[in-house]
Amino acid sequence: MVILRGFLVLVVFFLLGEAIRVLAGLPISGGVLGMVMATLTLMVRGRVSNELAAASQGLISVLVLLITPGVVGVFFIADQFSGHWTTVVVALVIGTLLSVFTTLLLMKKVAGSGEEGNSRG
Amino acid sequence: MVDQPEMFTALMSVWTAGPMLSIALTLGAFIAAQWLFTRLKRPLWMPPVMIAALMLAAVIALTGLGFDRYEQGARWLTILLGPATVALGVPLYQQVHHIRALWLPILVTLPVAASLAAAYALGIAWLMGATPEVLASLAPKSVTAPIAMGITEELGGSVSLTLGGLLITGVLASLFVDWCSKWLKITDDRIIGFALGLNGHAIGTARAFEISHTAGAFASLGMGLTGVFTALFLPLAFLLF
Repeated sequence: MVILRGFLVLVVFFLLGEAIRVLAGLPISGGVLGMVMATLTLMVRGRVSNELAAASQGLISVLVLLITPGVVGVFFIADQFSGHWTTVVVALVIGTLLSVFTTLLLMKKVAGSGEEGNSRG
Repeated sequence: MVDQPEMFTALMSVWTAGPMLSIALTLGAFIAAQWLFTRLKRPLWMPPVMIAALMLAAVIALTGLGFDRYEQGARWLTILLGPATVALGVPLYQQVHHIRALWLPILVTLPVAASLAAAYALGIAWLMGATPEVLASLAPKSVTAPIAMGITEELGGSVSLTLGGLLITGVLASLFVDWCSKWLKITDDRIIGFALGLNGHAIGTARAFEISHTAGAFASLGMGLTGVFTALFLPLAFLLF
């Protein structure tokens, strides 16, 4: 019962998200809009109810199960994207290396200068 | 007595009348993959979802079930991704207080780094002549799976290609953060964790929790903020181009 009440909250936020997506004509998925609204609601309330915590933990722990059918599809679309796989792999490898490097460098520069300012200033 | 092939066909038509066969196969593969993953000592390059997907693909191909019939039944599971995405708001809220500790670096880095995580790969793919469908599928490559699937659907890409890209990105990000942080002499677990979550979504976050609890907390935060930022701005940016 406890988990069901939390699940109802999640589904209601999802439905609200879908409603906003359609009514406002946003190109953003209803799940994300629901998540943003849920986070903002929690920040306003300042606490998470046990029901909601239990239900969200339950769903998050089986996330891998829920995305597995989509991942299986990768093996059956190989033909559809034949000739694109080199592009995909090169873009992912070089793109990820560059973005990891940039993130770390940016964080180091900004965090480093901030701490120096605090300790020496 | 009935012929064996006939019996098999009859059985398949009963089992695939509802979603239960797909659900049983997916659940079985999920549980077997978790077990195998622990037995293999949690290899970084082979996350459980990849093991489960490989097993399922083999079963679907060998039994003649076919991906279309499997997917129809499995929709009963994937439909839960909607509320599961909403559920991510709870841990995000629980990590929000970490923003206070490093608010300036996070505020400066997040929009730039999350945009670049998409832009670098898109730029390279575009230069190499990728089709719009491939570009739309690669765009959310650093975003956690349930959010990324929503983005791809909005942009008109292939969800399966996105998920393949996510797997590769997550594994690569874990390796690259390791190398780059050593090279840049970064030892702050908060920065390493944030970079892991921002670039490597759930796979990077899992890696961060192996480093330390602090790294894991900042990875969760980085993953959550990147997901929200990308989901809000990427579709709008795509409309402009």
